[in-house]
Amino acid sequence: MEKEGKQSMRVENHPILGEAESQTVVTFTCDGKVMQGYEGEPIAMALRNAGVLVHRHTKKQDKPRGVFCAIGRCTDCVMVVDGIPNIRTCVTPLKEGMVVQTQYGHSEKKEA
Amino acid sequence: MNRYDVIVVGAGPAGLSAAIEAAKLGLKAIVFDENAKPGGQLFKQIHKFFGSKEHKAKVRGFKIGEELLQEASKNGVEVVLNAIVTGLYMDKEVTVKQDDKIVHYKGDTVIIATGASENMVPFEGWTLPGVIGAGAAQTMMNLHRTRPGEKVLMLGSGNVGLVVSYQLLQAGCEVAALVDAAPRVGGYGVHAAKVARCGVPFYLSHTIIKAEGTDCVTGVTIGEVDSSWKIIPGSEKHFDVDTICLAVGLSPMSQLAKMAGCEMEENPLKGGTVPICDEYGETSVKGIFVAGDVSGIEEASSAMIEGRIAGIAAARSLGYIDEEALKEKSKELEAALGSLRQGMFGPGSKGKEIIQTEEGYEISKSLLTKGYIAEDEIFRYPGVTKKTGLHPVIECSQNIPCNPCQDACRKGCIKIGENITSLPVVDQDSECTGCGLCVASCSGQCIFLVEDGIEEGYSAVTMPYEFLPLPRKGDMGAALDRSGTKVCEAEVLEVRVAKAFDHTNLLTIKVPADMTMKARFYVGQEV
Amino acid sequence: MERSIDLGTFVPEPDDDMLICRCEEITKGEIRQAVHDGMFTIEEIRRWLRAGMGLCQGQTCGKLVKGIVAKELKMSPWKIEPATSRAPMRPVEMRIMGNEQLEG
Repeated sequence: MEKEGKQSMRVENHPILGEAESQTVVTFTCDGKVMQGYEGEPIAMALRNAGVLVHRHTKKQDKPRGVFCAIGRCTDCVMVVDGIPNIRTCVTPLKEGMVVQTQYGHSEKKEA
Repeated sequence: MNRYDVIVVGAGPAGLSAAIEAAKLGLKAIVFDENAKPGGQLFKQIHKFFGSKEHKAKVRGFKIGEELLQEASKNGVEVVLNAIVTGLYMDKEVTVKQDDKIVHYKGDTVIIATGASENMVPFEGWTLPGVIGAGAAQTMMNLHRTRPGEKVLMLGSGNVGLVVSYQLLQAGCEVAALVDAAPRVGGYGVHAAKVARCGVPFYLSHTIIKAEGTDCVTGVTIGEVDSSWKIIPGSEKHFDVDTICLAVGLSPMSQLAKMAGCEMEENPLKGGTVPICDEYGETSVKGIFVAGDVSGIEEASSAMIEGRIAGIAAARSLGYIDEEALKEKSKELEAALGSLRQGMFGPGSKGKEIIQTEEGYEISKSLLTKGYIAEDEIFRYPGVTKKTGLHPVIECSQNIPCNPCQDACRKGCIKIGENITSLPVVDQDSECTGCGLCVASCSGQCIFLVEDGIEEGYSAVTMPYEFLPLPRKGDMGAALDRSGTKVCEAEVLEVRVAKAFDHTNLLTIKVPADMTMKARFYVGQEV
Repeated sequence: MERSIDLGTFVPEPDDDMLICRCEEITKGEIRQAVHDGMFTIEEIRRWLRAGMGLCQGQTCGKLVKGIVAKELKMSPWKIEPATSRAPMRPVEMRIMGNEQLEG
């Protein structure tokens, strides 16, 4: 997918899995930036391919976090999605028009 | 309340197998899984499994997953996805989160097949984005076709660490180093060897000191540890990586069994807190069974058999079959499970240092510390023979339960015998047709075909090759030895791709005669 | 459980500020200090510090916390009393927890 730019981490052809099946491209935003990904893939995968690794900043120490377990267990990759915080982006399917925001503590607002 | 003969928690290899067997015997079975897709971790396993025919050896994990799903649907097993079992209460009442409801179910029997969770290890900077579990790497690249990073450092030399390192290479990542605090490689030597020959350096007795970076990982520092696990000053080494992968073991996810009141035990050999159960997987609570990793960490192959046994036992406990039938049906499965648990990596050998094989061959020290068998060690193994004509060289040096190579050769050139863990022996007198089926059948990718004197001063070496781009006949490149070091120029003589090889392509290269027993991998010329 | 164990004085260690519970941001030093303050079981540590009580419910740090407590008590981790297992096994929103249905 060319639009993702040079950061794309897609494996288009794989020695065991073969060629990737063609997928529907959808548009979403992350912190206001327009991005594209595949419909139904985990939000976190679309973000990784767009070069976004930091999903949230923690409440106490304001430290960056991203994907850790990728199967919905560790909850480190949670973000604010369509206004709802604590959404596990590694297991939540991407949809057209989704509004994804970096989570600070428990909300999308950076605390002063 | 919705009532079922058997409620299975978890649609992984154990859970699906359990539900299939129960349904075959007439039980009304339902399987709940919290994930959007069934199969547990099977669909991330793109490597060929070990074992023998009855364990589906040399079949890749995701194919086994597809077969299980077909079998489940054929037998009328109801699989409910995105269904989180939130609790297991008295009288086997199960609460399940489905959509925005908590729904109550009642099972006359319950089979818990919740699997395992990954262990993690803390170090400075371990919360930085870019530090991920090995399972995460597998999920990203094998399910979602997204490389976790460009350059990866792997911590953990167990089978997970080794297999995932290889899969990272297959997905096109660079693996900068494989690190383990233990003094010896924990996983199968053959898995280590296929990573080492690609040029990945092994650092045993090393651990991560810190992950570097502000917003995400930009590097890592490792250091050597002494016998009391303390870093030896001055031993620090730095790597520029964007990803650190943790593969430091698994723990049974047994909380549900505990909540249900099953008697538990802390068992280091099983990887953590597990319910105490009998040979059929029945816990101290009558009618509640466990199968797979939740009852002790093992391979997916064993999980499937345990699942089948638990399914049959559930049928027995509800009176669908009698005691006689239970014994009859489980006998064969118990035997298959028993054979998988043999060898130097079986539960009985956990934590022990093995210095020689069952046959008395000395274990390669180089394999355990560097990931590959040294040149002066290789000839001690019975699969490695010197001969001028075309013949297989089997660099299998540890007793693991696996025997597909024996069946692969139609000329009977490879013999393992009755004992599934025995090292394969190459029969010097048998004729080798060069068909290459043995090379492709070896899940450990440790079989090569060699032929001396294909022309004056040159030999041919055929190797398993599972990478892209696939070299073409006539290509010039370099041959690498077992350590991944370039040893000579090599010309590609032939590339064989066949359905029977199942994506393990056969690459034949021409090397100088003195490289026959050295050249074990090939890289094309950099463009 | 034996409560009258003499743990000696609390001696700070260089990696005390390393995070152990990623969700609730609890450090190794806080866990060690809690043991010295008399929290000897995982249940007590959870209630006292909230380690293992965050979104992931201790999936990631459970074993690590156990190891730290064990080391502080000079016991085998296998002897440390684990936390109680109770529903819900995964984080569930309150509005869903309250929406119980006997029929699916």
